[in-house]
Amino acid sequence: MSARQINWTVVSLLATVLVPLERAVGSEGESGPSLFTGDLGNIIWSLLTFVVVLYVLGKFAWGPILGALQKREDFIRDSLEKAKQDRNEAEVRLREYSEKVIVAKTEAATIVDEGRRGAEDLRRQIEEDAKAEANAMIERARREIGVAKDTAVKELYDVSGRLAVEIASRIIRKEIDVKDHERLINESLEELAKGNGK
Amino acid sequence: MERALLAASNPMDHVYQWVYQRAQITSADTVFTPDGKITVVSNHIIMQIIAVLLLILIIPRFARLRDSGDAIYDLTPRGMGNFFESICAYFRDTVARPILGEHTDRFIPYIWTAFFYILFINLLGLLPLEPLTRSLIKVVYPDAHHGVGGSATGNIWVTGTLAACTLGMIVVNGLRLSGVAYLAHFCPGPLLLAPLLVPVEILGLGAKIFALAVRLFANMVAGHVLLAVLLSFIGMTYSALGAGPATGIGIVVVLVSVAFNMLEIFVAFLQAFIFTFLTTVFIGQAVVIHHEDEGEHKEHAVAHEHA
Repeated sequence: MSARQINWTVVSLLATVLVPLERAVGSEGESGPSLFTGDLGNIIWSLLTFVVVLYVLGKFAWGPILGALQKREDFIRDSLEKAKQDRNEAEVRLREYSEKVIVAKTEAATIVDEGRRGAEDLRRQIEEDAKAEANAMIERARREIGVAKDTAVKELYDVSGRLAVEIASRIIRKEIDVKDHERLINESLEELAKGNGK
Repeated sequence: MERALLAASNPMDHVYQWVYQRAQITSADTVFTPDGKITVVSNHIIMQIIAVLLLILIIPRFARLRDSGDAIYDLTPRGMGNFFESICAYFRDTVARPILGEHTDRFIPYIWTAFFYILFINLLGLLPLEPLTRSLIKVVYPDAHHGVGGSATGNIWVTGTLAACTLGMIVVNGLRLSGVAYLAHFCPGPLLLAPLLVPVEILGLGAKIFALAVRLFANMVAGHVLLAVLLSFIGMTYSALGAGPATGIGIVVVLVSVAFNMLEIFVAFLQAFIFTFLTTVFIGQAVVIHHEDEGEHKEHAVAHEHA
């Protein structure tokens, strides 16, 4: 816009300066040059020079430049497309990996839980086994004690019976046959057992 | 000294075409062949040839594809090649593609050539070659009073020819690529109004091309005349008031001239751009006919969304 304004200013300045100048110069000599001096020669030369430039540059400059520009354009477009594709791929992969991590975490938690549960079971099992064994040992001990007690009691009966018989025979001074002897022992044992049973 | 001041006192000398040699080709006295002669060598023609040589020497040198085999190294822009490449890329992506769409790469060599051709001639015109080459040209043309210099784009015949090339591009490609649609575009209304509309449209096309030629011509002439007028103030002050005031005026004038030269460098780029941009727009109007245009805009919008 401002450039246009400058142009117009210049053109109007030109008009105000040129017209009187043209007149002044024109009056000096008929054959003098004018602002519009020119003829077919200028047209031919202009066409020739322009066409030469068009041809030579077209052959040696514009081709390579256009090629470079197009190549660069393609290169940039390809690079951007590739970058976009790579990005999408990376995003997909990231999502995949995130999912995998989540799955792995759950799996790990399950494994730990299972381990804990197993350990707990094992502990309980061991405890129970130990308890059972202890109980069995106690039972056996009790039984052995019982047997020992019975043996001891029986021996006590035997000894005390024999003692009683000895004492009695000494008292009655009379030998009692073996039959009587045994009968008497048994009787007194039974009495003792009865008395003990009470 | 006296002569230099005298020469500087006519600002128009810097923009005229100084003909060194002419050739008789016919006896007909027309606009194109005054007295049956045409110009063979002039300061503007030499400037055009210098511009062409520079273009051919400079641009292909930097434009060559780097071919090291390493894709990333080859495609990385650097150095002077990058300077030309970025200008080219700007024209292709920002100027041409929105206007020409799928036809961009078909017309881009013409667009690039037009820009650099005009730009080089514009910039060469800013070099103060004329006083330097004045004695040199006398070796070849003893009658010559003016050296080689000035903008060839400050010559309406040159800009006219360039504009005519654009017209050719418009009409030929309009017919080739749009065919009937391009012809129909000359009658944008009911057929009954054709006798009225067609001449108007043709005149409109002519006006566009005429404006294209005059815009470049006038801008180039104006800048040079302005600079010359500014500098002539020194000589005028000297002859009217003497050396003292002329020195004072000189300092001011030189500072302002430097500023205007900066502006002229900008204008050289700007006018080359405007000519090229309008050429692209006109070709686009002929090649991409309106209803197709909308579809393409939609495509562009979609492409932008994808990007």
